[in-house]
Amino acid sequence: MDMIEFKNVSKVYDDDTAALKDIDLTIKKGEFLFLVGPSGSGKSTFIKLLIKEIKETKGSIFIAGRNICKLKSSRIPQLRRNIGCVFQDFKLLPNKTVFENVAFALEVIGRPGYEIKLQVPQVLKLVGLHNKDQSYPHQLSGGEQQRVSIARAFVNRPPILLADEPTGNLDPATSDGIMKILSRINLIGTTVVMATHDRNIVNSMRRRVVELEEGELIRDQKRGVYGD
Amino acid sequence: MVRPRYFFSETFTSLKRNFLMGFTAITTVAITLFIVGFFAILVFDIQGIINSIKGQVELAVYLEDNISTELKEYIEEEIKSWEETDELKFISKEQALERFKEQNQGSDILKEIQGNPLPASFEITLKDPEKVDQVALRFVDKDGNYIEGVDDVIYGRNYVRRLFSITAIVGTIAILIIIVLLLATIVLIFNTIRLSIYARRKEIEVMKLVGATNWFVRIPFLFEGFFEGFTGSILSVILLYLLSSLLLVKGESVILETMRVKELAILGSGNMIFYIYGGIVILGGFIGLLSSAIALRRYVKV
Repeated sequence: MDMIEFKNVSKVYDDDTAALKDIDLTIKKGEFLFLVGPSGSGKSTFIKLLIKEIKETKGSIFIAGRNICKLKSSRIPQLRRNIGCVFQDFKLLPNKTVFENVAFALEVIGRPGYEIKLQVPQVLKLVGLHNKDQSYPHQLSGGEQQRVSIARAFVNRPPILLADEPTGNLDPATSDGIMKILSRINLIGTTVVMATHDRNIVNSMRRRVVELEEGELIRDQKRGVYGD
Repeated sequence: MVRPRYFFSETFTSLKRNFLMGFTAITTVAITLFIVGFFAILVFDIQGIINSIKGQVELAVYLEDNISTELKEYIEEEIKSWEETDELKFISKEQALERFKEQNQGSDILKEIQGNPLPASFEITLKDPEKVDQVALRFVDKDGNYIEGVDDVIYGRNYVRRLFSITAIVGTIAILIIIVLLLATIVLIFNTIRLSIYARRKEIEVMKLVGATNWFVRIPFLFEGFFEGFTGSILSVILLYLLSSLLLVKGESVILETMRVKELAILGSGNMIFYIYGGIVILGGFIGLLSSAIALRRYVKV
């Protein structure tokens, strides 16, 4: 089954810079895909289009067979509940504990308290932070903070997880830990799309690699490497 | 999906965080609505006093001393037949003197009076006091002289006119001041909410990211705006209440008697004051909601 499908998708920003040009791409359910390319090649645009933070200029995007370009704005929250997002800067709330940060994601979509008490410890165990649930983000290392943010993105068990440079601020050893968690999440059946320009990670994982350059798709390789 | 506890705690956390700004907004609402309420009361009371004065407007038709009984009766019948006439009273020369003596008791002027210099008169109250000019003209012939038997016609013409224009002026000034103050209040609450939104921008970003609905993001801010407007309006009602209690030192009934009105809102008498209080509270809450809704439209998008 196709989880994500881009059909002739182009995005031109208001200042006339073309971020994506005529992208055709299909990602199957349960796939792990690296989106590589230098800064400004369109990786972030690709991710923002999927969560409808921005609107495509041309073409259609399908998620689980549904055309999200025709989605009413009142349905966007529903779409986002099915897509977990992880960013380079973690986006954690500094005045909330680890537990509260993760629980917040369930609270704001109106989940009942008993479910929160059940789900949050589970997902914290998955990322290996179950003994730090009462710490505040500033008491954690960068890698731990990113694990909290992964926990928050995944606590709702979305079928898709998007990661935009999740290891961009982390050293190689910590990055490996993050990649292990993302692999684990992928193994459960989650489709994972990760934008990165971390050559070592891509080369060691040997997953599907899609390369963008100035908004164009120039390479799509199964079990690929970062390239040169 | 409804989580009142969440919304309340969010609202109050935010109020605590922006205490100074929220306090300013509440104070402004209180002062503004106090002035709005004060003018509403003022306009209502002036209107009441004018209405009571209007009811007292009467026409005095003084008769010549040597008027014949037939002519007097003819004029009386004539006045009674007019549809504008509400009440008609005949005051004879003797009654006029009696009244004059009563009004000037103990004064030296009474010693100077010899005989009875006062004329007899008809006193006419009108159904519609504003037609007083028209009615007065009927006692004047086409040459501009009074008709036979009538010596003089007196009514408080300029007095009445001036009163009518005073209400209009007070009303216009009040409305202008109220509009300016309401706009200032809206701007202040708008800014408070904008600051709250700014202080919580990270949370809002995360909320949207994980799929909170727009309403879920907005409701705490709407609560905050409503709370500021509502609290401010309650404060202003308390201020207005204190004002009427302060003014009430001399006793309500004496003042009402002197003013010849049934109620004065400024003294807290009658039902009107409760409508004004209620209106202020509703207005306060509404302004709070409106200003935060405007701020949210501008600063919180999907």
